[in-house]
Amino acid sequence: MPSGRKLKEIFFETAIRASGVASIFIVGLIFFFLFKEGIMLFQTQKLSGFLFGKNWYPISEPGEFGILPLISGTILVTLGAAVLSVPLGIAAAIYIAEVAPPQSKEILKSGVELLAAIPSVVLGFIGIVTVVPWIKNTFHAPTGLTAFAGAVVLAFMAMPTIVSIAEDALYSVPKTYKEGAYALGATQWQTIWRVVLPAASSGIVAAVMLGIGRVVGETMAVMMVTGNSPSMPRGIFYPVRTLTATIAAEMGETVRGSDHYFSLFAIGIVLFVITFAVNMTADLVVHRKRK
Amino acid sequence: MAAPILLTESLNLFYGNFQALKNVNLSVAGRRITSIIGPSGCGKSTLLRVFNRMNDLVEGARVTGRVLLDGEDIYAPGTDLLSLRKKVGMVFQRPNPFPISVFENILFGLRVHQLAGKSKDRLREIVKESLESVLLWEDLKDRLNGLATNLSLEQQQRICIARLFVVRPEVLLMDEPCSALDPLATARIEELMQELKKNYTIVIVTHNMQQAARVSDDTGYMYLGELVEFGATQKIFTTPRDKRTEDYITGRAG
Ligand SMILES: Nc1ncnc2c1ncn2[C@@H]1O[C@H](COP(=O)(O)OP(=O)(O)OP(=O)(O)O)[C@@H](O)[C@H]1O
Ligand SMILES: [Mg+2]
Repeated sequence: MPSGRKLKEIFFETAIRASGVASIFIVGLIFFFLFKEGIMLFQTQKLSGFLFGKNWYPISEPGEFGILPLISGTILVTLGAAVLSVPLGIAAAIYIAEVAPPQSKEILKSGVELLAAIPSVVLGFIGIVTVVPWIKNTFHAPTGLTAFAGAVVLAFMAMPTIVSIAEDALYSVPKTYKEGAYALGATQWQTIWRVVLPAASSGIVAAVMLGIGRVVGETMAVMMVTGNSPSMPRGIFYPVRTLTATIAAEMGETVRGSDHYFSLFAIGIVLFVITFAVNMTADLVVHRKRK
Repeated sequence: MAAPILLTESLNLFYGNFQALKNVNLSVAGRRITSIIGPSGCGKSTLLRVFNRMNDLVEGARVTGRVLLDGEDIYAPGTDLLSLRKKVGMVFQRPNPFPISVFENILFGLRVHQLAGKSKDRLREIVKESLESVLLWEDLKDRLNGLATNLSLEQQQRICIARLFVVRPEVLLMDEPCSALDPLATARIEELMQELKKNYTIVIVTHNMQQAARVSDDTGYMYLGELVEFGATQKIFTTPRDKRTEDYITGRAG
C-alpha cells in the first residue's frame, strides 16, 4: 500500500512525463500536416524548379512556383537585420551587464523588456511612418518600402532577445574570473574583452541565434514595410518579399487543394527547415564550446 | 632583518561603517614567506587585498593610514593601479584560470600590459619557462591549446601561479591557495612555495596552522581586525606573547 507521499510523487511524475510527451507529439503533428499538404505540390512541380525557380506567379495559368526570390528576400532581410542588431545588441548587453551604474541598469533592463512587449504590427506601423520615408528621402530610392526597411524594423525585434539573453550570459560569468583579471592589472575593457566575453561566448551565440530565429519567423512587421514584391531582389534598397509574408498574404486567397495552396505549405516546410537549421547550429556551437 | 618590502602604518579599513582592519602595523621582509593566520572573518583576506588594492573594487571600502611597497605609498593619489597589480600578483582560494587556453592564460599578463609583441617562438619560450617553474611543463606541453578550466584543480592552481610570473612580480599574495586541494596536492604546492621564495616575496593567508608552521618564516596572528602578534614563525608557535595567540594556537579558540 503506497503512502500518500508516494502517490503524490507518482502523480507528479506521470503529469510531467505526459506534458513532455504531449509537446513532442504536438510538434510531430504540426510537422506531419505541414508535410502532408506541402508534398502534394511535387505531384505536378519539380523540387528544383520550386527551390531555384526565379518566377513566383502562383495564379497565372499555368502557375509558376519558383521561390528563389522569396528565399533571397528572406535572407537579405535577415542578414540586414543581423548586421544591425547583433553588434548593437551585444554592445548594449555588455553595457548593461558590466558598465552601467546600478540604477540605470534597472531602467535599461525594463526598457529592453518594453521593447520586447511591442506587438510586431505596431512596430511595422511605426516603421511605415518613420523608417520608410526616411529611407526614401535619404537614399533617394523610388520607394522606402525596401528590404532595408524590413531589416531595420526586424533589428528592433531581434534586439530585445539578443540583449536580454546575452546580458544573462554575461552576468553569470563567475566573479572570480574578473577578479583574476583585475589582479593581473587588466583594465575593465581588457577584462571584458579577454575574459568575460570568451566566458560568455556560448550564451552570446545562443542569444544571436535566437534573435535571428525570431527574425526569420517574423511576418507582420516585415510584410508592412518591405514592399511585397516577389521578384528577385536587386539589392538592399529594392522591394522584396519574404517567405513568411508570402504565406500570410496569399493564404486567404487560395483555393483549397490547388497547387497554389500546396505551394504555400511547401514554403512552410522550407521555413521550418531554415529555422531548424538555425537552432541546430546554435545548439552545436553551444555544445562544442561547453566541451 | 632586511629592509621590509611591504609595510603598513596605522592601517584601518572600513566597509561602510564596519571596521574590518584596526590599526594594523605590519612589515613583510623580502624573499621570505609571511603567513597570516586567524579565525574566520578576522580580516585576513581583507588585509591581503589591501596590498594589491583589490578592495578598491568593493563599493564603500575606505582605507586610512599608509601602505608602503618598496618605500612608496600605494594609496598615495596618482598611484598607477595597473602597474601596482603587475608588481603584486595574487592567487585566489578557488583556482580561477580563465576559460581560455592554457597558452593564453599564461600570456594574459603580457597581453594586458602590452608586452607580448614578440615572435611566436619567443612566446612559447615564455610559456615554457613559466610552466616549468610550477612543474607543469611536462604534463601540459602537448595540451597548451586545451581549455585551462578542464584541468585538475591542482593544475589549475598551478596555472594561476604560473600566469603571474610573466609580468615579473615582486610579491605574491596567496589567499588560502590550498583550501580547494587534497593533502597531496597541498604538499606539492607548499614545496613549490619554498622554491618560489628564492625569487619572490610571498604573503600567504591560511586557515591551516600546520601549514603556516610548515611553510612560513614569519607569522602574523589576526583577531577581529587587529594584528595581535607578529614575528618569526618559530617564536609565534612556541612562545607566543599574547594570550589570544596562545589560545588560538593551542586550539582553545577560533
Ligand atoms: N565586501 C564586503 N563588504 C562588507 N563587509 C565585508 C566585505 N568583505 C568582507 N567583509 C567583512 O569583513 C570582515 C573580514 O572579512 P575577511 O574576508 O577579510 O575575513 P577572513 O579573515 O579572510 O575570513 P575567512 O577566513 O573566512 O576567509 C568580515 O567580518 C566580513 O564579513
Ligand atoms: Mg578569507
